[in-house]
Amino acid sequence: MPITATRRRLLAGSAAALALPAFARAQGAPKPRLTAISQWSAGSDGAAITALGKKFEEKGGVWQHSPVPGFTTEMMNKLRAQIIAGDPPACSQLKGPEIAAWSKIAPTVDLDSIVAAAGYEKVVAPDLAKLHKPGGKWIALPLQIYSTNMLFLSKRAMDKAKADKIPVTWADFNDLAEKMKAGGITYPVANGGTRPDDGQKFEASLAGISPTAYRAAIMNLDKMALEGPEIKAAFAQARKISNWMDPNVGAQPYATNLKRFVDGDMGMMIMGGWAQGVLRNAGFKFDDFMIAPGPSDNGKPVFLLNADAFIFWQRKEPDLQAGQALMAQLVMDPAIQTMYSQITGSIPVRTDVDLSGEGWSDGQRRTAAALKDAIASNQAVLSLAHNMAQENGLTAAMIDVITEYVKNKTITPDQAVTRLAEAVEGSR
Amino acid sequence: MTNAVSTATRPATSDMVRRLPEYLMIWVPLLLSAAHLISFSIWTIWISFTPSTLVPVTGWVGLRNYTSVLASRNWQIAFDNLLLFGSAFVLLSLITGLMLAILLDQRIRGENVLRSIFLYPLAVSFVVTGTVWSWLLNPGIGIEKLAHDLGWASFHFDWLVNRDMAIWTIVIAAIWQSSGFAMALFLAGLRSVDADIIKAAQIDGAGPIRTYWRVILPTLWPITITVVVIQLQFAISAFDLVRALTNGGPGIATQLPALVVYDLMFQRSQLGRGAAAAVLMLLILLAVLLPYAAWRYVQRRQATHA
Repeated sequence: MPITATRRRLLAGSAAALALPAFARAQGAPKPRLTAISQWSAGSDGAAITALGKKFEEKGGVWQHSPVPGFTTEMMNKLRAQIIAGDPPACSQLKGPEIAAWSKIAPTVDLDSIVAAAGYEKVVAPDLAKLHKPGGKWIALPLQIYSTNMLFLSKRAMDKAKADKIPVTWADFNDLAEKMKAGGITYPVANGGTRPDDGQKFEASLAGISPTAYRAAIMNLDKMALEGPEIKAAFAQARKISNWMDPNVGAQPYATNLKRFVDGDMGMMIMGGWAQGVLRNAGFKFDDFMIAPGPSDNGKPVFLLNADAFIFWQRKEPDLQAGQALMAQLVMDPAIQTMYSQITGSIPVRTDVDLSGEGWSDGQRRTAAALKDAIASNQAVLSLAHNMAQENGLTAAMIDVITEYVKNKTITPDQAVTRLAEAVEGSR
Repeated sequence: MTNAVSTATRPATSDMVRRLPEYLMIWVPLLLSAAHLISFSIWTIWISFTPSTLVPVTGWVGLRNYTSVLASRNWQIAFDNLLLFGSAFVLLSLITGLMLAILLDQRIRGENVLRSIFLYPLAVSFVVTGTVWSWLLNPGIGIEKLAHDLGWASFHFDWLVNRDMAIWTIVIAAIWQSSGFAMALFLAGLRSVDADIIKAAQIDGAGPIRTYWRVILPTLWPITITVVVIQLQFAISAFDLVRALTNGGPGIATQLPALVVYDLMFQRSQLGRGAAAAVLMLLILLAVLLPYAAWRYVQRRQATHA
């Protein structure tokens, strides 16, 4: 008997305890709460978003992040399931043209007033801003930027080639590769064998040869530009690069070759800025390699943009709406962007963040400077290989052609141009 | 009259009640999985006729998804690869499995150990098989490098990164994985051959090779067909092995239909086309399974008539 009594009292007590927060909430403004999904669960990405969550909690919010580890596509499958079930997260990771595509299947939050209040639009690269306001209104916010065409040079390989000049144009790059080859380096270019890896070789070639042609052909899918001489020249340059790569890499990621690159068995690497973080995590020192903007034939840096972003999905709950407003303010905050980029090795979206202080690497400073110059000369373009230039379907069709071309040396640049144009036509 | 009926049904109902757990055990899971399978198949077939991209939508586009999949280079390569991979893998795993079974059937010592070793790969997941073979076959770190390090400098074995030969690396890994399975079935078949027949053949003066060829192997037909069908359905739906071993590369040289389906649905966000490719795969599978079902049916009819 006494046991039942205690149990009953306990039940009543816990019911009251459960009801309490709801009661408190009804009293004043809702406590901001954010449900978020992303693929960032481990490594520097996981650490960065956890730090962001801490900041969110410091501001009095409730942070509910559910990471979906693995590929971006797996995160998308979860997002798709939640949207179909009518229960989207308040905010989710999504980037590039996918923002526009996904915003058509579920209502999003209009962030215009928050963005205007922060004066954010002035400090974001124009092409990047466009991606985050597909219907003319801001519905998503970029978080961090990487360039996909940074040039990494191995110090030891440079010594072997008796070279000290950082290549500026593709001609310089090709000369240096030949020098390295003559200096006994069998594979002057360190590479991976994945699809984005092959895609990066092509996009870096084309953007370096002509950013204007890149914009017309790859970003605007202009038919004339797609069959133009610059595309053929880019394929020819990509073939040169592929002849300097180790074919034995198979389907492995670029990171497999990092040790050979640092040791000077391989000389150069065309890779995104994230490789810097990977090199650092693998225990290599900054004096082992140099980082510069990828080759550009007109001498001014070309920046192939890759940016992670958050999209905000419409919710009715006042606490989630408050959470979205708080999150948007945090993501635009220069201090938060600084914190985030210093953890992941990217650069801030804001072009007005000062990177001269402590906590930034030389590579990050060079990347940020390259972005500023590239925007000034209208040479900041969107990466194809990392799903920034086109929607996934079109990107995949184009990368099919590119990856086959990089691996199959019997395809001529002329054939590749035709196939690329056909692939675009076929999946439009 | 009524009395007679009720006394006659009573034992039957109590029998039903007694056997209820059995019926529940068999029919509930069977119906659930059948409903699951059929409903999702029908759903996929329906999606394949809609303009769905990111999410399923209603609408009708006729055969447009099918024509665009069939016209795509990816699918054509995948289909050619399937023909090559399917026939080579089934044939070679059959031969390897049969040879292993015959050799093990010689009443050798340590048969149990050997049998376990040959069967063991089957217990390894395809992803593991694919990953391990991708290292072994990689010219830079695997067998080729080993041969070079041992001093055989002219040794050349780069199939994994050779566009024309890469599909054969999948055949090799798949055979390694599943010829033990064929062996186990064949061994069971060999052991079930009536000893009297073998003795009769020996008395008639047949040597061991002749005995196998003319007497024992013909009795293995039913097992052979079972093995072929099981291996074929594996070949058609092969996904994880290829994904871990070559991921469809170099380039898109080792695409297979299951990879194309996954790619379309989850990477390109083209649900309609992905569903169409999945239905095409189902049709290929039916082309294998229906003749097999018909053959089984005919066999059973003959057995009951006899």
